[in-house]
Amino acid sequence: MSNDTKASGVKRRDFLKILGAGTAAVSAAACSEPTGKLIPYLVSPDQTVPGVSTYYASTCRECAAGCGIIVETRDGRAIKIEGNPEHPLSRGALCARGQSALQGLYNPDRFQGPMIKQAGEWKPITWDDALSIVGQKLGEVRAKGAAGAVFINQHESGSFPAFLDAWLGGFGMRPHLSVDFEADQAAIEAHRRSYGVAWPRFDFAQAKLIVSIGADFLDGWGASVPQQLDFADARAKGEEAPRVVYVGARRSLTGLNADQWIPAIPGSELAIVNFLAGKGDVGAAAQQSGVTANVLSALKAELDAARPALVVAGTRGANALDVGLAAAQLNVSLGAVGTTVKTADAVAGFEGISRHTELLEAVTRMASGSVPIAFVRGVNLAYTLPASQKFADAFARVPFKVSFSSYPDETTELCDMVLPDLHSLESWGDAAATPSVMSVQQPTMDPVFAHTRATADVLIALGQKDAANAARYPNAEYRSWLIGRFAGGQSAMSTALAKGISAGSIAARAVAGVGAASASVSQQGDYHFIVYPSPVLGDGRGANKPWLQELPDPVTKIAWSSWVEMHPETAAKLGVDRGDIVEVKTSAGAVRAIAIPYLGIRPDTIAMALGQGHKSAAGMKVFEFKDTEVQWGYGRYARGVGVNPFDAVTTTTDAAGGFVWEGMKASLTKTGDHDIVPSTEGSARQHGRGIAQAIVAGQVEKEEHEEHIPGDASHAFLPGLRSPVAADAQGELGAPTAKDHGKDLGLYDPADIRGMAKRRWAMTIDLARCTGCSACVTACYAENNIPTVGAAWQNATVYAVQKPGFNMSRGREMNWIRLERYYEGANDSEFTPDFEARFVPMLCQHCGNAPCEPVCPVYATYHAPDGLNVQVYNRCVGTRYCSNACPYKVRYFNWFGYGEEDRKQYAFPEPMNWQLNPDVTVRGKGVMEKCTFCVQRIREAENRVALEHREMEPDEFTVACAAACPSRAIVFGDAADPRWTVAQLAADKRAYHVFEELNTYTAVVYLKKVIHPSPAAPAHA
Amino acid sequence: MASAAAPRPTGPGERPNVPSANNRFPAVRDYEQVDREVIETLQPSFGWFAALATAIFCLLIGISTWIYQIHEGLGAAGYQPPVMWGVYIITFVFWVGIGHAGTLISAILYLFRAGFRTSIYRVSEAMTVFAVMTAGLFPIIHIGRPWKFFWLIPYPNWRLLWPQFKSPLVWDVFAILTYFTISSTFLYVGLIPDLAVLRDKETNPIRKRIFAMLSLGWRNSDREWRHFMRAYLFMAALATPLVLSVHSVVSFDFAMALTPGWHATIFPPYFVAGAIFSGIGMVFTIVIPLRRFFRLQHYITLNDLDAAAKLCLFTSMVVGLAYLTEFQIAWMSGNKVEQDYFWNRVFGQWAWAAWIMLICNMVLPISLFSQRLRRNTTWLFILSIFINIGMWFERFVIVVPSLSHEFEPWQWGSYRPTWVDYGILLGSFGWFFMWFLLFIKQLPVVAIAEIKEILAPRMRSQHGGGSH
Repeated sequence: MSNDTKASGVKRRDFLKILGAGTAAVSAAACSEPTGKLIPYLVSPDQTVPGVSTYYASTCRECAAGCGIIVETRDGRAIKIEGNPEHPLSRGALCARGQSALQGLYNPDRFQGPMIKQAGEWKPITWDDALSIVGQKLGEVRAKGAAGAVFINQHESGSFPAFLDAWLGGFGMRPHLSVDFEADQAAIEAHRRSYGVAWPRFDFAQAKLIVSIGADFLDGWGASVPQQLDFADARAKGEEAPRVVYVGARRSLTGLNADQWIPAIPGSELAIVNFLAGKGDVGAAAQQSGVTANVLSALKAELDAARPALVVAGTRGANALDVGLAAAQLNVSLGAVGTTVKTADAVAGFEGISRHTELLEAVTRMASGSVPIAFVRGVNLAYTLPASQKFADAFARVPFKVSFSSYPDETTELCDMVLPDLHSLESWGDAAATPSVMSVQQPTMDPVFAHTRATADVLIALGQKDAANAARYPNAEYRSWLIGRFAGGQSAMSTALAKGISAGSIAARAVAGVGAASASVSQQGDYHFIVYPSPVLGDGRGANKPWLQELPDPVTKIAWSSWVEMHPETAAKLGVDRGDIVEVKTSAGAVRAIAIPYLGIRPDTIAMALGQGHKSAAGMKVFEFKDTEVQWGYGRYARGVGVNPFDAVTTTTDAAGGFVWEGMKASLTKTGDHDIVPSTEGSARQHGRGIAQAIVAGQVEKEEHEEHIPGDASHAFLPGLRSPVAADAQGELGAPTAKDHGKDLGLYDPADIRGMAKRRWAMTIDLARCTGCSACVTACYAENNIPTVGAAWQNATVYAVQKPGFNMSRGREMNWIRLERYYEGANDSEFTPDFEARFVPMLCQHCGNAPCEPVCPVYATYHAPDGLNVQVYNRCVGTRYCSNACPYKVRYFNWFGYGEEDRKQYAFPEPMNWQLNPDVTVRGKGVMEKCTFCVQRIREAENRVALEHREMEPDEFTVACAAACPSRAIVFGDAADPRWTVAQLAADKRAYHVFEELNTYTAVVYLKKVIHPSPAAPAHA
Repeated sequence: MASAAAPRPTGPGERPNVPSANNRFPAVRDYEQVDREVIETLQPSFGWFAALATAIFCLLIGISTWIYQIHEGLGAAGYQPPVMWGVYIITFVFWVGIGHAGTLISAILYLFRAGFRTSIYRVSEAMTVFAVMTAGLFPIIHIGRPWKFFWLIPYPNWRLLWPQFKSPLVWDVFAILTYFTISSTFLYVGLIPDLAVLRDKETNPIRKRIFAMLSLGWRNSDREWRHFMRAYLFMAALATPLVLSVHSVVSFDFAMALTPGWHATIFPPYFVAGAIFSGIGMVFTIVIPLRRFFRLQHYITLNDLDAAAKLCLFTSMVVGLAYLTEFQIAWMSGNKVEQDYFWNRVFGQWAWAAWIMLICNMVLPISLFSQRLRRNTTWLFILSIFINIGMWFERFVIVVPSLSHEFEPWQWGSYRPTWVDYGILLGSFGWFFMWFLLFIKQLPVVAIAEIKEILAPRMRSQHGGGSH
């Protein structure tokens, strides 16, 4: 025996002991944690390296704008979408809806193949049979005269509309209708008439004053992402930033971001704009709008003095076109066109949208029985047309109806056949980004369901089957058609695909002329009634994606529900509290939803968001885990959640042919019932705690701080943010002293070769930029495999409440990063327009001196050498002590087995689990989790740098929330290295730490919001 | 026999609480009577079976609820973040607290030679052991992955992973295990002479054999008594610091966290006083029906209860002072978070719970200034129930309102337990009373040897020393 054996230190006895304990531990572990599956490849496809991501540039089709995206795929599956930095619209950012396209792709309720309705029963059918049936029908229809046929497509820009019209023409059918319910027809018409484009680029950064007339340009009105990028750039100018004034009866997200709110009665905006244009009397404007003359005069004076200024108008009232035209005219007279309104960078995606009046005309023809065949693709008319339109009855009179929908929506349920389309992430296409740039769309993976087919390919197949059309379709694929049309052909296309964009333009279809406005809005009731497209769910499209259901509305912070916004005064008058069910009744119908008192709405106005209230005609109830069943009612996540305000909206159109959603009258009654409020909101007041701090413009240099809780800690910024800053859970390893000489500090030694202790990962969040849009929240869900918890069945089994959002109403949501919205000023009972909203993204602060670390009995949370506060899921036993100790309340617990596939609470039902990020664990029940600063991205970058034998470049990579942020408020990096942006921003004069007085030495540094008070009114800072 | 209550003290010369042959147990004549009457209590009765069945039924509810909770996840309970701790931690602290009175009575009062402990200490000591056994379950019930609870125990392992010794939860593990070890040993050591009595009186050979083994061959010799008394004294001295330390450690669970309402230096003495107070409440709850059903009124005399009630009154005042000090410190701190929290505790969302606590623990015990009420067993029993409720709510007020009203207003929340919480709470009472009921029919609830010890020598000789 050599001495080496002795030196090893493990004796035979010890070894056996350890072996015994180890075996016991392994067998115990085996009981609770099932073995996972490995990568299923026997022969790997080309270009697919297991564990290495491939990125594809493509185009987002979740709204009309068509932002550029980069899709990350791993082992042939798309796992994450981020903005394309090269793209002129998204410029690297992406909104929550765009990121959620993945859950459309992997939606468990997608149609898996074509089906036909026979004697009221849906039956699967082969593509061959389906195509023969459709081909035969087309032949019959053409023989009888196909002019009445209707093809309704969800609006998209690019080549497809022209392709489709050509196809329809080949069968003798009229051009299709390109429908977008979210599009503001009046604004588009006004823009077109005044500026010559449907949607110009509003360059907020150039303006000295921004006036929004009811336009929620940060969230849902037009192209949110580019508008947010420009708006944030404007606000980032700090002292020089433009003041923002919002005119409207309800403070939308844009309204909450404005410095001043002018609460005008719905419909009175025209008088205000006219007055601002010098065409009206202040007295009349004041009287009509319910705003004092002083406020209006002050605004006019300010507008007259501000050059350049910008006025955007986006009302949805009966006179919306007049308001839009007047505002555009005002811009022209202010000299805004060319400086703040730029037509060269216009958003081309809004060209070519059919007027809603055209759609109504088609429905009338259906009702009269003169439509022989109807095709619907991507549009859910049975949901989005007001109930008073009786669409279902009209549709039933069409003899043969085909849906190309991917999802079992309300309209498809009424059809006779469904030929499921591919998702935009699986198919070819293109889009017009700006007048001079086009954006390409390419498949990022093989179809999730092998028996779904791209509609364009289906149309080609139908054309090829038809003798009269066969010659026009030499290739079986739409892709070949696209390449044939692409300037420069195959090679140019390949170049474009690499970047996602290409110079060039795609002509949009012409839009029909303006019809007559029908002006019979509901006049029954005491309250002005506003409906607006949900910033999260849109016109209802997003309702089947749990990420979007789980994302709280940025204004009211409610998810998984419908609600009626009313001022607290109104609520008090009616005698209702938050959560009491009220009934909103118009001449068209009535809906019931919970009452939500909201400070930002006029006391004579009530508002509801669109998007919820999906239901199946067959009356299906809550999802019952029968995967084989078609989940009618827009899938398991949408069905039975909330109510559909369209049930109470009158079918009225404005002069531009758009639906009127504002200025209706409605009555409001208390029902006496109460329901849960699934909200993330605790208290909307800061109680003087200085979480969201602000500073009045002009004070930044003077360092006059707002008053908040005084603390012992120095308010000066901590130098270097070195890690660990203070005596933390590991002791004073970060600052080795003489007595540590010769001790092995391991990774904690700054001189260690791996250099971890030299770094301090940190983040700055600029509250002047942050708009509260919540794109970061969804980015975090997507990156970190965060389960959604709000579905009705994700609660306990025995004697438990089965309601959508119930877990959320108990605060059990898992949003690692959340958007807090605090009010400053006003009080919670009396109406005043003078209050301010502040948005704070709150996430794990990665404290240098973390209160959570020493309390964990099993070391499941500890301090990494590079400053991260690490959570080890496998070690966590779930005492939840760390959460109790955390002053920021950013730790989230797995109350159920959301990550365990054999449970009903499972958050990623097949194939949604394909989206899961392979770099991040899916957590089991009973463990704590929290923001990791995307540690997987940090380690990936470190490994990459190490493999390439180089130093890390400043700003070489970033975390998911920062990557998505459309206002560029979040910056991540190494604060210990002064070359990184984060290190420079952290030294800003506006920098502060939340709860500095607790000596937690946080790694998240907030930059104070800058308030621009009205020159005429005192600030509410 | 029920009329055999001790006479009320009549003159200044007669001190009711000092044991003496004349007034301590006037109705007890000799050793034989003590043996007979105490052993009589061990005869199972219908009422006892009914009570045991009820306790086991409650326990089964608790067990099945727990199994369900383990299967479903902790979400089945009523946790509403940020209230991450709830009924289980409240009940844990409640049961640990209950235990403390037992050790106080058996150990500290023994060292102080307080005579009134003699008759009630066995019950209290047993109560301590079972309360700690109950309390010890709750940290396991409460954690997210109870099958991994052993990770809190330091044991050598190939991963070289140890618990975080800075965490108060690890201290808890040590405190509870130590407390259980010491208190059960102490109970057993005190039982040895009594076990010998049972051995001698037992006719069933199997039980006799068991008692023989448990009594460790006790022969009642002088030498044995000398060793026994030494050992008992030693154990009492060992247990005494635990009364203070265990609940101090439990209080560190709260005091060591940054949470407003928890992060206070007053917590250790406050918790110890509260523990003793709640324990005495539980002693009353148990002893008053027990002395009646077992006809032990002439052993557990009104004088003893009177003395215990004074202790109860004293600890109530200490606890009350602690409550007021908390408010005063919050008021004087100038810390807005602390002030907001305490305002919310007393006048806000949780006012109902705070006032249940204040009334039950601070106001109602004031009645014990009246000697008549101190000697009224009905009132003592009713009051003890209020104290139990009040002390449970004290822990509720510490745990829930603090967590629901912390630094971050956006994360302020609420809490409502579900049937799972209540089921397990009920199960914990079932578990406790099941052990207790089994105990009282197997082993003497009053210490035979100690009773005999203070009987006057006259009585010892009357029957020639009796059996012992």
